[in-house]
Amino acid sequence: MFMHIFFYRFKCLIRDKQLVFWTLLFPILLGTFFYMAFSNLNDEASFHPIHAAVVPSGNSHYDAPFVDVLRSVSKGKNRLFMMKTAASQAEADRWLKAGKIDGYFSSGETIQLTVNESGLNQSIMKSFVDQYRTSSAAAAQIAKDNPNALQNGLLQDLSDHRSYVKEVSGGGAEPNNVLNYFYTLIAMACLYGSFWGAKEVMDIQADQTERAARVNTAPIHKLKMFIAGSLAALIILFAEILILLAYLRFGLKIDFGPRTGLVVLTALLGSILGISFGAFISAVVKAGEGLKIACLIFVTMAGSFLSGMMYQNMKYIVSQYVPLLSWLNPVNLLTDAFYALYYYDNLYRFALNAGMMCLFIIVFCAGTYLIIRRRRYARL
Amino acid sequence: MPVFNVCLKIFRKNWLSVSIYVVIFLAIAILISATSVSDQPTTFAQKKARIAFIAEEQTPLVKGFRKELSRSTMIVALPDQSEKLQDALYFRQVTYILRIPKGFTENVLSGGNMRLEKTVVPNSIENTYVDLNVDQYWNLARLYATHEPGISQDGLVSRLKANLSGTTPVFMKTENAAKTSDSFSMFYFNFLAYTLSAVLIMGISTAMMVFRRRDLRMRHYCSPLKPTNITMQLLAANLLFAGASWAVLVGFCFLLDPKSIATINMLYFLINSLLFTGCIASLSYLISTVLKSLNAVSAVCNLITLGTCFISGVFVPQEFLNSTVLKIASFTPTYWYVQANTKIAKLTHFSWDHLAPSLYSMLIMLAFTGAFIAVALVIGRRQQATN
Repeated sequence: MFMHIFFYRFKCLIRDKQLVFWTLLFPILLGTFFYMAFSNLNDEASFHPIHAAVVPSGNSHYDAPFVDVLRSVSKGKNRLFMMKTAASQAEADRWLKAGKIDGYFSSGETIQLTVNESGLNQSIMKSFVDQYRTSSAAAAQIAKDNPNALQNGLLQDLSDHRSYVKEVSGGGAEPNNVLNYFYTLIAMACLYGSFWGAKEVMDIQADQTERAARVNTAPIHKLKMFIAGSLAALIILFAEILILLAYLRFGLKIDFGPRTGLVVLTALLGSILGISFGAFISAVVKAGEGLKIACLIFVTMAGSFLSGMMYQNMKYIVSQYVPLLSWLNPVNLLTDAFYALYYYDNLYRFALNAGMMCLFIIVFCAGTYLIIRRRRYARL
Repeated sequence: MPVFNVCLKIFRKNWLSVSIYVVIFLAIAILISATSVSDQPTTFAQKKARIAFIAEEQTPLVKGFRKELSRSTMIVALPDQSEKLQDALYFRQVTYILRIPKGFTENVLSGGNMRLEKTVVPNSIENTYVDLNVDQYWNLARLYATHEPGISQDGLVSRLKANLSGTTPVFMKTENAAKTSDSFSMFYFNFLAYTLSAVLIMGISTAMMVFRRRDLRMRHYCSPLKPTNITMQLLAANLLFAGASWAVLVGFCFLLDPKSIATINMLYFLINSLLFTGCIASLSYLISTVLKSLNAVSAVCNLITLGTCFISGVFVPQEFLNSTVLKIASFTPTYWYVQANTKIAKLTHFSWDHLAPSLYSMLIMLAFTGAFIAVALVIGRRQQATN
């Protein structure tokens, strides 16, 4: 009998095109849009040699050393500038106005910088000139304090510019913050699965749908019916989430870190969380279907917003200022679990998230059971 | 005007699903207006990179270094816990974590090869910027240590401070920038594309689909009203709804950013958004002729609005989008709307030469409007014939 109910319930659910759209197609399409919109973001924030120009003063005493230094940092793979020499200030101004350069240096006794905005590239240009100036000032000071220094190779030491920093990796993975958008998307898809859970509860409460009224007349234990139906819903949702994961991983090449097994486990936990959450809300909210769906959408969308789906720093802000909220937000728990699996070497944070999700699942299931058990209808 | 009145009644019944978009839009707009910088700086201000500074030793030179570094960076206080630091780096609270290992100062002063440790967002601009400033300080410190061997750390700090003080004169050519360039109004009008699309498609498509019901249409045919009259009434109701939505949404811009009202740019923003309203209204009408079920409206509405807005630069500016995506986007009116907006925002002169590119974009939007109406009419005729 269990298999019979399960099978028919499965057929009944999978034919609901609207639900299949919102829980499968919509996340896939949204993921595609994210991919199209965000794929260039990290590249835009990365360093490209700065387009700059120099306007010589005509006095080679000032021009020659400065232009030399500029040339030395404008060649090679790690060059700082793409340098052009302007014939006159008017030409450099034209380049600046046309957006061909970020700014230009005017050589002379005091080197000047002309820009048209206060950006990072312009700040690098300024730091560069500051350095040139301070190095000369330091050399003059040393030569004054210790006149022998000039014979002892002061100028050579001055041009021997060493790097004093080395990069150490913070963890196994790159801090690619665009990934968070995709993690919240999967979390949202799992929580959209709550529609399936809500449908399950509505379809066994005889005062809510006609199908439930019919099913209630059958001589079968309600719990058995509910479990069979929920299992069918869970299998559908989990399959949808796996399709979404596969699309993101293989279609859009989204990185989930090396622990595939745990990623799939998180997807399963998320699916169970989604179904049980929907069932619980549907059991608690007694009013019509519209209000139940509105509640589910509201919680899912608010949760997604707080996990950084629309503004990614939101997740960080919440965890900094209202840490409790980030532990009570089911969307954030899922997002954070994917994030922890990708970004951290140890599994402590993942385990915390997974544990919290299990706790939520237990509370939702127990709550649903206590509300809908032993419901009898005198009249329908 | 019975048809007109019924149409308005349907709009009123639908207010909840439409107002959700308006409320979300306004919440975000208020958030942006509260955080956006209203005045454009006219003088150059050096950018500060956000960094975390973790010192395992506190020598006078390290303290002096920290002080100098804070001129070009903003040092964010973070606890020395790897998880907290990693989180901050991922969410770009800092883009550079600098760690000064124990014994570093001694090592540099005695000519050693010890280095500072950095954890960074790979290839970021800030990475280059901070490196430049860090290297400068320690290179100069080494220079002093080599050529003035007797110098104390405190003496060295004050020498470096004297050398590094003073600044390069920077001139900023601000006359190139328009008042509305990168202003709140530009963001508002760009983002308006999303809300306006959602509101119009949800509102107009839903109402028109009700009127396409077979029994309702048959009831119309046997009424003494002429078909043209019915169409005109429907058109009037839809235009009223579209106009009202436009007026309300644009009105909020005046409340949130009163400074832009007086600019000529605002006039063109308004014209552009009005043309866009017309275009999306005709698209909504087309959608209502194609769809069969009312349930599909919200799905199609979400897909069309989110899809076009993501690829056309409403949520992420067009300069950050890749060229293939933009090519695809150029087949949607939203792309041309955003194009026109961005160009209008930068205008400082309003002669024909300067205006032409924005007007060109608006013209393409008009062409889209015409195409939507034409297709909708053809489909409508066919459906009438088959019925």
